[in-house]
Amino acid sequence: MEKKLSVKNLVISFRTPAGKVQAVRNISFDLHKGETLAIVGESGSGKSVTSKAILGILAGNSIVEGGSIVYDGMDLLKVGEDEFYRIRGDKIAMIFQDPLSSLNPIMRIGKQLTEAMLLKGKARQKSSKEAFNTTLAQLEKAMIESLADAKSGKNAADMTELCKKFDKFEFKQIELEQAYKEAYEAALEAVDAVKDVLFHIEKNAFEKDEKETISEIIRLSKGTKNTYVVSDDAAKLDQLLAEVKSVFSAEMKEKQNRTFTRTANTLKEIQNILEKALEKQEPDFFSMGCYVAFSGKEVPKDMPVEKLNEMMRKYADETLINEFRQCAKAGLAHNVKKYNGLKKEALQVLRANRDVFTAENLDRKACEAAADTMTKAVEASIDRLEIHKDGVAYVFGVSIKSDLNNYFEGIEKNKAAAKKHVKQQKKYDSLVKKGKQPSWKVTPSTAVDLDAAKQTTIDLVDRMIAHYEEVVAAGVEKDFDKATDDLIVFFKENASGVVNKVTKSMAKYKALKLMEEVGITDVRRRYRQYPFEFSGGMRQRIVIAIALAANPDILICDEPTTALDVTIQAQILELINKLKRERNLSIIFITHDLGVVANMADRIAVMYAGKIVEYGNCEEVFYEPAHPYTWALLSAMPDVETNERLESIPGTPPNMIYPPVGDAFADRNKYALKIDFEMQPPMFKISDTHSAATWLLHPDAPKVELPKIITERIARMKTKGGNYNA
Amino acid sequence: MPNQGETLLRVEHLCQYFGKNKAVDDVSFEVKKGEVFGLVGESGCGKTTTGRSIIKLYDITSGNIYFRNERIAAGTLSYKKNMLEAKKKFQEEKKALEAAGGADSKKKIAEKKAALDKYLAEQKEQIKFAVKDHKRRRVVTEIQMIFQDPISSLDPRMTVGDIIAEGLVIRGEKDKQKINKKVYEALEMVGLVREHAGRYPHEFSGGQRQRIGVARAVVMNPELIIADEPVSALDVSIQAQVINLLDDLREKMGLTIIFVAHDLSVVKYYSDRIGVMYFGKMVELADSDELFKHPLHPYTRSLLSAIPMPDPEYEKQRQRITYVPLKEHDYSVDLPSLREVSPGHFVHCNDMEFKKIQETLAKEA
Repeated sequence: MEKKLSVKNLVISFRTPAGKVQAVRNISFDLHKGETLAIVGESGSGKSVTSKAILGILAGNSIVEGGSIVYDGMDLLKVGEDEFYRIRGDKIAMIFQDPLSSLNPIMRIGKQLTEAMLLKGKARQKSSKEAFNTTLAQLEKAMIESLADAKSGKNAADMTELCKKFDKFEFKQIELEQAYKEAYEAALEAVDAVKDVLFHIEKNAFEKDEKETISEIIRLSKGTKNTYVVSDDAAKLDQLLAEVKSVFSAEMKEKQNRTFTRTANTLKEIQNILEKALEKQEPDFFSMGCYVAFSGKEVPKDMPVEKLNEMMRKYADETLINEFRQCAKAGLAHNVKKYNGLKKEALQVLRANRDVFTAENLDRKACEAAADTMTKAVEASIDRLEIHKDGVAYVFGVSIKSDLNNYFEGIEKNKAAAKKHVKQQKKYDSLVKKGKQPSWKVTPSTAVDLDAAKQTTIDLVDRMIAHYEEVVAAGVEKDFDKATDDLIVFFKENASGVVNKVTKSMAKYKALKLMEEVGITDVRRRYRQYPFEFSGGMRQRIVIAIALAANPDILICDEPTTALDVTIQAQILELINKLKRERNLSIIFITHDLGVVANMADRIAVMYAGKIVEYGNCEEVFYEPAHPYTWALLSAMPDVETNERLESIPGTPPNMIYPPVGDAFADRNKYALKIDFEMQPPMFKISDTHSAATWLLHPDAPKVELPKIITERIARMKTKGGNYNA
Repeated sequence: MPNQGETLLRVEHLCQYFGKNKAVDDVSFEVKKGEVFGLVGESGCGKTTTGRSIIKLYDITSGNIYFRNERIAAGTLSYKKNMLEAKKKFQEEKKALEAAGGADSKKKIAEKKAALDKYLAEQKEQIKFAVKDHKRRRVVTEIQMIFQDPISSLDPRMTVGDIIAEGLVIRGEKDKQKINKKVYEALEMVGLVREHAGRYPHEFSGGQRQRIGVARAVVMNPELIIADEPVSALDVSIQAQVINLLDDLREKMGLTIIFVAHDLSVVKYYSDRIGVMYFGKMVELADSDELFKHPLHPYTRSLLSAIPMPDPEYEKQRQRITYVPLKEHDYSVDLPSLREVSPGHFVHCNDMEFKKIQETLAKEA
């Protein structure tokens, strides 16, 4: 499965007047495409902090102490605000806990839905343009270089010419397609609106804003005139539209027995025309763009679409496409070969310089120099023509720099912290000597763990080496036809991103569709309402629709159902599941209620005091939980069959200003061993996918049975199946 | 276990209207001494309003509430309606008699008028009693409430000691030492320590704050506690602590509790009897085991089918039932009311549905 997001060794603290609070302590997880990862834990366990770090919206007093969050070849912890502007909401979206406070009370729902779309429109145009231009330039370079491989009798100028042509016609294509799409969508929307009005007339439930809808139909229908949508009937449509306006206002004036029969008839005719137009076949704009751009002729008007397509395709293939495809393919093949060579070189550089970091005492200058050469070698070996970015290589430079910084600054910081600690201790001791008991405690010196920092650097280099070894071993053989197709699709997407202007009416159309998708009925009326007119569940649906507005890859749900009651909760969970299936979303689902995630999650990470204590597949965590904290969570929940006294977890989570030396859960854990208070347990692997951080899994540990309440429940559920009344 | 005999609280035809909005509409139930009575339903169904009407946070529109057989709250709308109807009836009869004519008609009208006047006077007297009963305050201190949100229900500028003592002070307790003693007792009872009395609410965690809310209620030594979603704002692990605490207190003090919540598993675990509410009406009322074994009203069934379980296999098979009132019932002819279908099991249904339920029950037996 494709990895979407990868969090590695994340450490986050907060600066508070009382001292440094460690919120997230060294957690790692991966998120794959189309899966749901549930993060479960009590409040204060750091689950929300993790999600906020992914979105780059941490509070001002936070310190990111280490780790990386890799998304699409970028380390989200290190990218700037400008870059984040393109990711946040666009690629990664979030649903917040409280639907009441995450909507603006004085803005209509429609405006809130379209706001982000309109704002994001420009940014997307800009980034698409950049991607298109840089990739095309890279391709041109590769194509020119590939000339040396095969003697085809072409020269560099030919290649440049080819790329320029491609550039030109690609945009022509998009322009044509755009005009068509706008007209087509307008027709779709108009038909929807017509159906709405007809429905109301039929049910005799005419509303005040019907007049507005009618004028919207007129406006929309006027926008449907396009050669490939409404062309022949354009005159008739105009006439009908003029008619419907006058007929409607006339019938409005009849005070008694308003039936609107004439309006309905006219509307039906309009609907017929539009529906006929919608059935028309879509022409091949890719080839047509080429024809329009280079033949210098107009597109023949009276030709059936199929024939037209054939003609265009033939022309396009002859003049440009075949040649371009071939050259691009050669360019790609050449590129892969070239960069494979460069990767081998980089591998050597990496191996040669690795030892600099393993020395006893690191020398700052030597380290930085080594990091520099490594970064240069790695950066040079990245094939920029690859559409699926190689995350490990892309973030290598930034990561190694910050890791080294961490280490060397850590040395200075440790000195200062130790000094401060000694001073405080002295003061404390002198007060105690005088017979006073100070009300404050001595803050432990927050030393940066230098060995760990060093190890992270070495790990990073090792990871890079292992990754490149894999890539080099995979060789240069690839399906280049498919790669070429992918590349052309990539160009198309970005070109349409440049031309695509998000207009107000398009945004509205999209918003209405979204509202329907999330299960809101009567969308046209709802679109004009304020948040207070919605119930809790409906509000959460709106929040989900806003999050989906930009069609994100990753959706973070931060306790989306905690504020809702059972029936609404079930509806919202079903909705999120449905959207995940339809859009192939990756979801991070944060909650404190294990019951909620049984139906949602593919994998579960249980967090406690800033650490992941158990990580595994949904079934593994529910049927074979290994960590006492997971046991406690499972047995603290009553279900409908529970009769015995609940096993509550005594006490509260530890104060993370003074994190415990051993296992953070030891104090509240009735299964705690002696070693739990002295040493932190490592992650023990139970199976390939399942691991837990508890000493109970150590081979020398005493055997502990699962609590009775859990084993009983599992047995009971097995017999029961999904039927309630059985 | 509940003491089966004595009825502590009786709610009769309780109606609470806010303008046109019928938040609670004709709800009746009894709470026995020592039991836990659960009220469930989705948000906006009137369960909180019912609780608040009982402690007289609102003036109820109609109906009576009896606490230990003493009327503590009463609404007047029903009497007013009676009067209106009687007047209307009289007018109709008068018209009919006048139309019929004859010698007796005048005499008959006079008779009817006298009867009407007598009836109206009776109703007016009832209203007077109701208002008088409603104004009595004392008894309400024996009913206490625990609120949903432990953050917003504690005054941030009062110390915990002051918060807990406030009720005592209002009741007229003046002896500082006595108050302090009671506050400390209450704190210890809910698992906090004396030192906490001097602190402010923001210094406590969510679970501890809810404990303060409980202490504030128990310090008045109440008979009945209305717990309005006391655990829905808390983490799962803390929920168990608070529920266990309430359970201990119930045993220790012999409390009766009305437990309002939307989380069915918690209500099932904790309550002896459960009332299910839907849009201001009580749709089903039964012993909690009975309710979960034989849910008879379609809304109850849809509620039960929505409970998530900590079991992936089960969850994948779970089918949620949606409740659409218009599809389920046809109340155009025959109006529904709350009827007893088997001992202790009440369902909101009309004659036809009642028959059907009886049949299915007979079949099962």
